[in-house]
Amino acid sequence: MTIRYLLLLFVMSWTVGAEAKLNLVATTPSMGALAREIGADDINLEVLAPPDRDPHTLQARPTMMRSLRSADMVLAVGADLEVGWLPVAISGAANPRILPGRDGYFEAAAQVNLLDAGGPADRALGDVHPVGNPHVNLDPQRMAQVGQALAVQLGKLDPPNAASYAARADTFSAKVAERLEDWRKVAAGSPGVMLYHRDAIYLLDRLGIPLLGEIEPVPGVPPTGSHLKRLLDEYSGRKGVIIYPLYKSSQVPEKLAGDLGWEAIKLPLDPAKDADGDGYLSLIDEWVVAIASAKK
Amino acid sequence: MRKLTAGCAVTAILALPMTAYPSTESDIAELKAMFVEMKSDYERRIADLENRLAAAEKRAVQAEKKSETATERSVAAKRQADKATQQVVALDQKVEAAPAPVSSEPTPKTSAVTSASAFNPQMSVILDGNYYHDGLGGEGAALVGEAFQPEMGHGHEHEEEGHDDHGHEHGGMSNGFNFREAEFWFSATVDPYFDANAMVVVDGDGNVDLEEAWFQTRNLPHGLKVKGGKFLSDFGYINNQHPHQWDFADQNLAYLNLLGDHGLQETGLQLTWLPETPVYTLFGVEVGQGDQERFGVTLDDEEQDEFGLDSTDDGPRLWTAFAKVAPDIGDNHALQFGVSYARNSQHQGLYGFEHEEDDGDHDHDHDHEHEEEHGESGYEGSAGIWGLDLVYKFDGEGDYGHRDFKLQAEYLRATKDTTVRSGEEDLVGRSLDFTSDGLYVQGVYGIFPKLRAGLRYDVFGLTNKVSGAANESFGSSDRWTANLTWDLTEYSRLRAQYARSDILVAPDERERFDAFYLQFIMSLGAHGAHKF
Repeated sequence: MTIRYLLLLFVMSWTVGAEAKLNLVATTPSMGALAREIGADDINLEVLAPPDRDPHTLQARPTMMRSLRSADMVLAVGADLEVGWLPVAISGAANPRILPGRDGYFEAAAQVNLLDAGGPADRALGDVHPVGNPHVNLDPQRMAQVGQALAVQLGKLDPPNAASYAARADTFSAKVAERLEDWRKVAAGSPGVMLYHRDAIYLLDRLGIPLLGEIEPVPGVPPTGSHLKRLLDEYSGRKGVIIYPLYKSSQVPEKLAGDLGWEAIKLPLDPAKDADGDGYLSLIDEWVVAIASAKK
Repeated sequence: MRKLTAGCAVTAILALPMTAYPSTESDIAELKAMFVEMKSDYERRIADLENRLAAAEKRAVQAEKKSETATERSVAAKRQADKATQQVVALDQKVEAAPAPVSSEPTPKTSAVTSASAFNPQMSVILDGNYYHDGLGGEGAALVGEAFQPEMGHGHEHEEEGHDDHGHEHGGMSNGFNFREAEFWFSATVDPYFDANAMVVVDGDGNVDLEEAWFQTRNLPHGLKVKGGKFLSDFGYINNQHPHQWDFADQNLAYLNLLGDHGLQETGLQLTWLPETPVYTLFGVEVGQGDQERFGVTLDDEEQDEFGLDSTDDGPRLWTAFAKVAPDIGDNHALQFGVSYARNSQHQGLYGFEHEEDDGDHDHDHDHEHEEEHGESGYEGSAGIWGLDLVYKFDGEGDYGHRDFKLQAEYLRATKDTTVRSGEEDLVGRSLDFTSDGLYVQGVYGIFPKLRAGLRYDVFGLTNKVSGAANESFGSSDRWTANLTWDLTEYSRLRAQYARSDILVAPDERERFDAFYLQFIMSLGAHGAHKF
């Protein structure tokens, strides 16, 4: 009897607390930062993946389902980046609001043009994504575009605040436009970057910096000796920098960088879990500095 | 106008090879074919963009009409229209300029980008084969699922026999190469109201079995979901996993001996509820027809007549209830507890009672006892089983699963409360209760990137007894298993497994044997998601 009463109280307190604001759940910290920037105090936000984890290999956990159960909207990077866990988590959440195709499901990749799209759906080439490279989050310009779309979508769910969402999206776009010039200037002349995985190609493309190959022979497959030798042969005597993500072992990048006489820099692909738009832009600052370091 | 420029460009392109003086006619033909293909490709893209531009403009106009109420939307639509125009212009310029590779793809229109939904239904095929060897000439793989329990040893083998011969069976293995099964998995969203899945399994001999085929609701409020059809019950933890999802090549002794090769596979309905409690808590109930391999077995019509047992034409006879709780213990850890119960209202069998003077050395008597009609009695009643499960996962932050750890343990206990209906006259009407249990504990650790080592201990029959009209208690069967699993990519997996089994095959007869597996699992098609 008392237990039932307590349970009822629990449930009630929860629903009362959640009543006013939209509950957003972002899959990655980048999406979380964008949601904080556009939603500010008008939303509650939860971020599922920490920045030091590969969002492609994450596993669905019951606690994620619990978060999604109460969500009014889920923000995903999309293009199959979270395919290993998000569909399971959404299905387990028993929440019709956030099913793909509904207003509560938002994918960044669906709002912008994708690079690497239309490749062969042949897994001999690794874990390829025929719909396009999903790592759009490192291109601030595309993220500004995603922010605009997000503002429209949030406005649909929460019409009274639609104008604020739109205004904040414009502010973020302006911030990006303002910094983009600086970033281009700082990075200009960089001889290029070697990546571990094609996870920063959108930023390189935006800044016009050459990509000097990837340490992975094909996506999702660890480097082989012959591939590393080929990279070494191709790039020795040239300038460049290796940038690799937090969740990759530093052993191979450091070794290869040593052999090439380059620097190997470990950088997150996402800002901190509690970052806002400025936190995200600071991450891009870090990347730009790293890219420019290849000039030395 | 735009078509015209495109046309001009293509003509210019087509004229290009004239000046290049290709050496052979085949070269010319090849180039022509290439340019025709390019032309049609560009025309298609331009037409596509024009359509989209028109649509966007239309939307912008519509939005303007309603601009008092929805200014943002019209702005957004106009922006889209502008963007589309820019793209058309850009594309035109590119066509005019040269046959340069087009890098800018049209803006996607859908709200989700995934290659999987290009196929409706989404499809995947999983191939599972092995090289197997054990010290019993290949009988070990089946034997681990036939550990002695009083229910089976005294009666004769009933329905299972037929099942093993005709249906597909996970345990059936020969020494040497085996193709265990090919799983064909189809899933799709049926309409706004339902999702549906079907899994058809074909074993190495070509036997086809419908493993699962069910629908599930999408739209119910309050965290409710209803599933209907044929499905693997969410009883316990490993019960709803298919063999390719197991961390070991074979099923644990507790499940094999208490629930059978397929576990609790039921035709019926399931209701689950995920309330908005502070901690993840899932409740579920299921109702099923109750046709089971081990848990709630029934005899055929002829035997029911012969032994004076009720007919079992009516269902549903099985229900289950389960709850799962998963506290949030940080990004690196996941923990889930579960408690489950299942009940089958009909459980029938035949029991060969020992005569009082028979006590002591009975050796292999029971093996032949079914030939003596007077020794067999029919019994029937109900069966209940409860289970506890625990799963803990640690994310080791390493490359490709390096340092990840998973611990999984379950305990199952089954009781069958039955009454003797026929046979020994002085025993008819007396109770005959069977109790048996089992557990397994297994851990898997990522010793290197892509390489996992697993260790499992499983035991059946810690309690293994019959009480009431007969009172006997028997020993347990157990096994140690170690394996190495190599996940080359997300789509292919190779495994080597060694097990040392100690199986009670008769009241005082044991088989101790080694079993070795080399297994491959290949996954074709859509990117599978990993359940918790």
